Amino acid sequence: MESVECIVVGGGLAGLSAAYGLAEAGLEVMVLERGDYSGAKNVTGGRLYVKPIRGFYPELWDEAPFERPVARELVTMMADGAHTTVEIASDRFLEGGPQSYTVVRAKLDQWLADKVMEKGAMVVPNMKVDELLRKDGRVIGIRAGGDEIGADVVVVAEGVLRLLSSAAGLAAQPQPRHHALGYKEVIELPAGVIEDRWHLNPGEGAAQLFMGDCTRGMMGGAFLYTNKESIALGMVVGMEDMRRRRDGTESWQLLDAFKELPQIRPLIAGGTAAEYSAHAVPEGGITQVPRLAGDGYVVAGDTAGLSFNALVTVRGMDFAVASGYYAAEAIKKAKAAGDCSAAGLASYEQSLRSSFVLRDLETARNIPGVMENPRLFTHYPAAVGRLLESVYTVGEQPQAGLVKKAWNGVRRDFLSLATLRDAWSMRKI
Amino acid sequence: MDIVVCVKTNPDLELVRVKDRVAQTEGVPYKIGDLEKNALEAAVTLRESGAASNVTALCVAEGNRKAAEDIKVALAMGADEAVVIDDPALAEPDQAAVAAVIAAAVRKLSACDLLLFGEGSSDNYTGQVGARVAELLDLPQIGYARTVEAEGDVVRCERSMDDVIETVQAPLPAAVTVVSEVNEPRIPGLMQIMKAKSKPLQVWSLADLDIEAPVPVREIESNLAEEQDRKHIVFEGTAAEQAEAFVDALIREGVLGR
Repeated sequence: MESVECIVVGGGLAGLSAAYGLAEAGLEVMVLERGDYSGAKNVTGGRLYVKPIRGFYPELWDEAPFERPVARELVTMMADGAHTTVEIASDRFLEGGPQSYTVVRAKLDQWLADKVMEKGAMVVPNMKVDELLRKDGRVIGIRAGGDEIGADVVVVAEGVLRLLSSAAGLAAQPQPRHHALGYKEVIELPAGVIEDRWHLNPGEGAAQLFMGDCTRGMMGGAFLYTNKESIALGMVVGMEDMRRRRDGTESWQLLDAFKELPQIRPLIAGGTAAEYSAHAVPEGGITQVPRLAGDGYVVAGDTAGLSFNALVTVRGMDFAVASGYYAAEAIKKAKAAGDCSAAGLASYEQSLRSSFVLRDLETARNIPGVMENPRLFTHYPAAVGRLLESVYTVGEQPQAGLVKKAWNGVRRDFLSLATLRDAWSMRKI
Repeated sequence: MDIVVCVKTNPDLELVRVKDRVAQTEGVPYKIGDLEKNALEAAVTLRESGAASNVTALCVAEGNRKAAEDIKVALAMGADEAVVIDDPALAEPDQAAVAAVIAAAVRKLSACDLLLFGEGSSDNYTGQVGARVAELLDLPQIGYARTVEAEGDVVRCERSMDDVIETVQAPLPAAVTVVSEVNEPRIPGLMQIMKAKSKPLQVWSLADLDIEAPVPVREIESNLAEEQDRKHIVFEGTAAEQAEAFVDALIREGVLGR
């Protein structure tokens, strides 16, 4: 069997970050990517928090083809006919280098693949890996088509579906209840129009999340990110909730209905839909992180379940880059010691445990459970809307005092046993 | 026998979007044209059958900054070596310029008995370059080849014409342009892709070929019909009245009765 020192399965952010570090250290690296190019199969319509990863490969991020630094954060709570938007615009979001950027992965990943090739790694697109080869419990290489190639270490960064890693017994098969369905449209709009509609200075960006009525009580929400000359508008809906639904609602209908809302329609008016795509999103949190390294392999990125949705901050790409970086560090150490067994690669998990990756996931341990509470997506967005609506309403009759109006709303919707129970369950998020 | 296959790379047409009637090629990866893959396959088949000893893939980058990377697919498909001619002066060459560069490169290569082309490129399909190179090098040319056989000093091809198939023979050296019926190009496996990495690949500039930078002559006149908005005229009344009103309107517009 022909062999190379390292095979990376999957040319996304995790795989490429690993390959970059390995190639930089002079190791022989081959990245196998199933799509036409890196990023071709990616559906992320979103943002990358760069602060946590700036320290990894610092030379890269200043020239990365990001879209817009996020200067404004908006959260919209949606009830039937009443939307409440909280907008947070802070100079601190941009100080000392922006904390996050919107990204178009087809661009970002291709660029990173080029950087990886410049470091001497081979990046092979259109190459579907069919199997992880195992011998005596050790991962010894891969099979792609009719060819078997050996490797001292295989970096498994195949993405959320774990087709290879679950077949090889390295990770559990993904379950619907630990995943959401993400789908989005890319709608092209001129840069100036985007800046006008979201009140942005030239070049700056906005991120807007929506929760409540848009998912009709199901776990999830809608999102909107401004790219340079387009917006990514989509939804994330819990698969289990979607699966249990019996009224025949299809996911695309939710997005179509969302786009037709009087509050949303003007935001996208005149835009041209350029893309439509869908993907699974890991939402299982730390309990779904598999064993991260074993004999001859490490698992990184979405395959390792390294992502989380904390309602207002949705993260995964920064974890992917970090896991790739730490994977490369661990493999370099293992190669130097001539021990690519689980023991030789153990520093990978140790690094992730002491870094933000597993610490933030640990902090967020209880979020997936809390998110299963439907009142989060029905009662509260509606209650906030009702309360503020009453405060802002002027009708024919004499008005109750402001405080009284507010108090009535609080008493009606928030002072109940259910709310207390919810608050108790949320104490650890 | 040494074969040189001329290979053009073009933006992957499946990934090109059209916006406001302009093809959006930014960020679209390049790939080797379909008919060029047929030409490569024909060459590699001849070498595998023993009729040829060496296959060189020759590519004029034509503005593809990653041509030297993309041409490795030709090596993975079985070419023995590759030459890429990349020069800033060749960012957007016309067919005459490409032909001149290929002719100069073929002269520089030590041996070339059979020169293979795709009949036309996947993007523009002007079908000119093969014939132009044959003329510049004073070679016999066979176009629309659906078979390519080489034996001794001759190449024999079936030409796919509209209603007949011609069988034509030419003395070597010769140039042949192939059509898609000639074969089914192989898809290289991972092992071939790995092995391609160590095959010789040279990048030449125009200075290496000792020729002048071509002066691009490029005047594009769109022959697309001008876009018109619909007039949204609805004719009412009986069929006869509608027809009458319709004809009147056409005459007023100058479409009829000129």
